[in-house]
Amino acid sequence: MAEELLDQVRDLVDGVIDFDGQRRAEVFATLLLAVSGLLAFNVGYTKQDILLALYIGGAGTLLTFLVVVPPWPFYNRNPVKWLPAGSRAASTG
Amino acid sequence: MHNTLNRFQSVFGFFTTVAFVLGCFIAATDFYAERAPSGTLKVSNLQVVKGRPHYYSSVQEEYAIIKFSLDADLSHLFTWNTKQVFVYVTAEWPAPKSGVNATNEAVIWDSIITNPSADHLKNIGPATMKKLKKSAQGKTIAPDRGILSLRNQRPKYQITHPSRKIADTENVKLKLHYNVQPWFGLLTWNQNQDIGFWKAIKGGVSAPFSLPSIKKKN
Repeated sequence: MAEELLDQVRDLVDGVIDFDGQRRAEVFATLLLAVSGLLAFNVGYTKQDILLALYIGGAGTLLTFLVVVPPWPFYNRNPVKWLPAGSRAASTG
Repeated sequence: MHNTLNRFQSVFGFFTTVAFVLGCFIAATDFYAERAPSGTLKVSNLQVVKGRPHYYSSVQEEYAIIKFSLDADLSHLFTWNTKQVFVYVTAEWPAPKSGVNATNEAVIWDSIITNPSADHLKNIGPATMKKLKKSAQGKTIAPDRGILSLRNQRPKYQITHPSRKIADTENVKLKLHYNVQPWFGLLTWNQNQDIGFWKAIKGGVSAPFSLPSIKKKN
């Protein structure tokens, strides 16, 4: 019982995602941060407001952290299909 | 990117890069903003008095009190990247000995002008702060604050010289200076020649004058 609970906690903290999810997370992080930076610069410059640029950049960064860091379900849609563990050993043993 | 900590580190690492590049972009916009400051300085009253550098001092020095009038247009210096502008007026005079290539220079007055984005940093009381913030309500930059008009302004600093003598000095000129302090990028001072979009100050130097003799007590 306790072991199961600990396993669940460890999974939650670890937040492991599958290979396809890792690629997606990488793309999201790069795109979101770069776009929020460019948006911050352009809006700030046209409105001549440095604080606005700061807030847009900050909001974009926060959003990126929210999207990328937690192990959302859509990062675990393509789990690796392993061969059955020790199938040969089990049959012979 | 395989676990939470790893993703956190990757995102934060790239965030620092984006923030740095954004800062560089903002700093670069300064070079595309035209600067065409101008100013007129006139001396309105001159006085040289004897005084002590501090209360317990036994030596007496000569101090020049230079009152002046200033009309300046520094509105171009206020862009979205301007935090504050430091304006100061100096008195300059050549060294008396010929052949000595030295100029005496002393600040007689200065002032800090903030852009609205930096109003909260100013070291003033709450009532004045309220007034200052209200003066720029709804505005992100305040070029109108760069237009100065001082009449018969008392100097903030009375100036002297290491030799303790300053009376009867000849060929003294007042000069206007500024220092733009940006949010990101280079700290810049007024320059003597045009650099790209940045023009040198038009005017900004008073006619040469001589300091009077010490006021005699009757």
